[in-house]
Amino acid sequence: MTKCISGARARAVVAAVVVVSSGIILAAQQGGRAGGAAQAPQAPATPQAAAPIDLTGYWVSVVTEDWRWRMVTPPKGDFASVPLNAEGTKVGNSWDPATDGSCLAYGAAGLMRNPTRVHITWENPQTMKLETDAGVQTRRFVFGAGQPPSQRSLQGYSVAEWEMAGGGRGGGGGGGGGGRGGATAGPRNGNLKVTTTMMSAAWLRKNGVPYSENTTLTEYYDRFAAPNGDEWFAVTTIVSDSKYLNQDFVTSTHFKKEADGTKWAPKPCKS
Amino acid sequence: MLRYFLHTLMCALVLIGVARPASAQVDLTGMWAPIFHEDQVERIPGPDVGDYAGLPINDALRFRADSWDASLLTLPEHQCKPHPSTYGFRGVGNLRITAEVDDKTQSIVKLHTHIQWQEQRRDIWMDGRPHPPEYAAHTWQGFSTGQWDGNVLVVKTTHLKAGWIRRNGLLVSDETTMTERFIRHGNYLTHIYMIEDPNYLTEPLIKTNGFQLTANPVMQPYPCYPTVEVPRAKGDVPHHLPGENPFLEEYAKKHNLPQSAVRGGAETALPEFMNAAAKPATVKPDPPIKKPAPVVDNEVHSLHVQGNVWMLHSGGVNAAVQIGEEGVLVVDTMTAGLADKLVAEIKKLAGNKPIRWIVNTQLDPDHTGGNAKVAEAGESIIAGNFAGQAGQAAANFAKVLTHENVEARLVKVQPALPTQALPTDTFFTDEFEMHFNGEAVQFFHVPNAHTDGDVMVFFRKSDVLVAGDAFNTLTFPVVDMEDGGSLNGVVKTLNQILDITVPEDKQEGGTYVIPGHGRLTDEADVVEYRDMMTIIRDRIRNAIDKGMTLEQVKAARLVRDYEGRYGAARGAATADALVETAYRSLKQDSKTTP
Repeated sequence: MTKCISGARARAVVAAVVVVSSGIILAAQQGGRAGGAAQAPQAPATPQAAAPIDLTGYWVSVVTEDWRWRMVTPPKGDFASVPLNAEGTKVGNSWDPATDGSCLAYGAAGLMRNPTRVHITWENPQTMKLETDAGVQTRRFVFGAGQPPSQRSLQGYSVAEWEMAGGGRGGGGGGGGGGRGGATAGPRNGNLKVTTTMMSAAWLRKNGVPYSENTTLTEYYDRFAAPNGDEWFAVTTIVSDSKYLNQDFVTSTHFKKEADGTKWAPKPCKS
Repeated sequence: MLRYFLHTLMCALVLIGVARPASAQVDLTGMWAPIFHEDQVERIPGPDVGDYAGLPINDALRFRADSWDASLLTLPEHQCKPHPSTYGFRGVGNLRITAEVDDKTQSIVKLHTHIQWQEQRRDIWMDGRPHPPEYAAHTWQGFSTGQWDGNVLVVKTTHLKAGWIRRNGLLVSDETTMTERFIRHGNYLTHIYMIEDPNYLTEPLIKTNGFQLTANPVMQPYPCYPTVEVPRAKGDVPHHLPGENPFLEEYAKKHNLPQSAVRGGAETALPEFMNAAAKPATVKPDPPIKKPAPVVDNEVHSLHVQGNVWMLHSGGVNAAVQIGEEGVLVVDTMTAGLADKLVAEIKKLAGNKPIRWIVNTQLDPDHTGGNAKVAEAGESIIAGNFAGQAGQAAANFAKVLTHENVEARLVKVQPALPTQALPTDTFFTDEFEMHFNGEAVQFFHVPNAHTDGDVMVFFRKSDVLVAGDAFNTLTFPVVDMEDGGSLNGVVKTLNQILDITVPEDKQEGGTYVIPGHGRLTDEADVVEYRDMMTIIRDRIRNAIDKGMTLEQVKAARLVRDYEGRYGAARGAATADALVETAYRSLKQDSKTTP
C-alpha cells in the first residue's frame, strides 16, 4: 500500500496541480468563448481586461447608516462608533468647528463615508480612477507592483488587486485568498482589494475624528444586484491606525449605480 | 513513473480539496463578533423616537411609527420577542455559524446561525429545497435558502413574522422578504442585507453589517419568561393617538437636524437631500402598493399543524380536520364548489376513518358551503331514542355541530339549504366540550364578534385553535353587524385567543392558530392583529368622542398605516368598510354602554 507524500514535496505537487488545473479551467473558459476552436497564444490579460466585476460608471452613496454622522457635521467631541484611543480623543477634541468643510474630511480613509457620488473609470489598463463630487477628490488604484510616491498625500498610494472567486488573485499577483473548493462555473466572479498607504493625516469624519499618517487603509469592493434589479457595490473599509485607534475601524458603505452623470455635482472642499 | 505520478496527483487533489464538492466556496463557520463601528448609538443604547432619517419608508409606516409607544414592549406578549432576521444581525450578541453536512456527499445541507440576544436561531437551507407554501406559518427568522455566487453566500428569506427594521416603531409587515450576501474577507465578514416590504418601504432597504472572527467565543444562554411588568386593564395596548405623540420632535431638536430629514423617506438618504433640507417637510401620498397576486388554484391543500390536526386551505379559505381512531372531526367545510375536493383531501389524510363531526365556526357560505357533501361523506353513531326519532338513515351522515345562533340563521337562508347542510346538534352556552380521538375538544362561543354565533374550536392535546373569522391574516376583519357582529366583540375575541395560546419559546410556536382565512399562525401573529384592531378601535372611538362625523373620520384616513397590508381591494374588508362599520358599531355600543 502506498502512502501520500508530505511536506515540501507535496506542496510542489500541489503547486503543479494548481497550475495544471488552472490551465485546464482557463482553457475550457477560453474554448467556450471561442466555440471550441484552437486558440493562439495570448498576451497576459491587463487588470482592466481581467476584471471579474465592472465597477466603472456613476454611483451614489445611499446613506441608510450613520446618517447623523455622515449627512451633517457632527458636534465637536461626538465620536460615536469610532474606536478612538486616548490620544485620538484628545486630537479629536481639539477640532475647530470653523474648519468645517476642510479637505481633511475627504482623505482616503474617510472619503467613502461621505455622502457623495463617485465616478469610476479606467485611466489606463493598469489604473482605475475613482473621483468624488463631494470634496472633488481623485483616487487612483494601481494594479501591480509600482513605485510608491516619495511624499504623502491626502489620497495616499493605492495598490489594487482582483480577488477571484475560488481563491485566486489576479491583476496584482499575490497568494491565495480565503477561498476553498473549485473554481466557480459561469461568469467570472470576485472582488477588488485596495491597500492604501502614504496618506497624510486627515479625518475620518467631518468633525475632526483623526487618523494619522501611519494609517493603512484596506478596502474590499464587492458588486451585487438588488432583487429589484438595481446595481450596487459595497466597500468594506478597514482603517488600521495604532496611533489614534484602539482597534481597526471597520465600516461598510454601499453605493447604487446611476444611469449617467446627470446628477454629478462637484462641490470642492476648503483646502 | 506514471503510476507514481498518478498516485501523487490523487493525493495532491485531495490535499487541495478538488475532490470536495464546490458547494462551499468560503468557510463561514465559526464565532463572529459584531462590529459596532456603524450606528453604534442606534444598535446598543437604542434609537431615538422619531428618527427615521435615511430610511426608504412610506407615509403609512411613518404614520404607524408615530403612534408607536415603547411601553408596548412591557406587555407580556411582547417581552420575549427575539429580533427578526430583518434586524438581528444588526443587534447585539455574538453570531455563531455552524454547518450541517451530509456524511455521504459532504455537501452542506444547511448553515445554522445563532445570535445570542434572545437566542435567534436560524437555518439557511443549502440543499435546494423550495420555500414552503404561502399558507405555512411564519417565524421570526423566516425561511431561508442559500446558494453561492462565487465566494459570496446569497440567502433569500420569506415567511417572516411582522418585525422591525429599527427599534423605535419602524415595523415591517409579514409580507417582507429579504436577500442577504455574506462576504468573507479574511477574518472579517461583511453582511449586506436588502429588505423589501410592499406595504411599508418604497424601495429595498439596504444596510451592511460587519463581523470579526473571534478567538474567544462567548455564547451564553438567553432564557426569557414573560411577566406582568405594569398592571393594565385587559387588552390595553399602549400607543399614541394620531397627532398626540409628544416625543416626535425631540430628536431633531436635540441634534439640530431638519424635521424634514428625520421624517425619513428614500430621498433623505441621497447626498443632495441636505441641499434641499431647508424646505418644510412635505408628505406625499403613498403610491399604490404593488403586490403579487395571491395563489388561487381552486385546489384544497393540507398542512399538518401538529398532533392530530391538519389545516386545509384553498384560495385563502381555511378548514381544519382532527383525525384519530374514532374518526374525523371537520371544522368548517369551505364553499360548495370546493366540497368534493375537500372530501377528497380529507380521505387522503384519513383513509377509511369516517367523518363523524362537522363543526361550523359561523354561518357564511365559505365556511358552511360544503356541509352537505362533507356530511354525506361521513357517518354517525346513533342509537337509542335518537335512532327512533331520526331513523337509522341518519347514521349515513356526519353530524353538524354549531352554536344555536348559527343554526337560527342557517335555517332562514333562501333558497333553503339541504337538510344535510343544517346543524344536527347545537349548544347555547359559552362553552361546550367533548372528548374525541383521545383529546379534549373545547368549543367557545364568542358572541358579537364577526357575527353573533362565532365559535372557536380548541384541540387541547394537539394544542391547535381554530379561530373562525374574528381573526384572519388576509384582510381587516369583516364585522357583520346585520348578523350581530361588533368591533368590540372582535377585539374581545382576539384577546380571548391570547388567553388560550401559550407560545413555546421566544414568542413563537406552542399553540398554533388556524384563522378563518389566510396562513397558519401562532400567538405572535394574533398579537400583531390584536394590537392593530385595538389601536384602530381606540383611534375611531377617540374621533367619535371628539364629535367627528363618519365622513370626517374617513377623510382623516385613520387606518392608513394598516391599509396596505390588510385593506381589501373591494368588498366588506376595505379600509373604508372597516372604518364605517367600526364607527357604526362603536356608536351603537356607546348607546348601550355608559
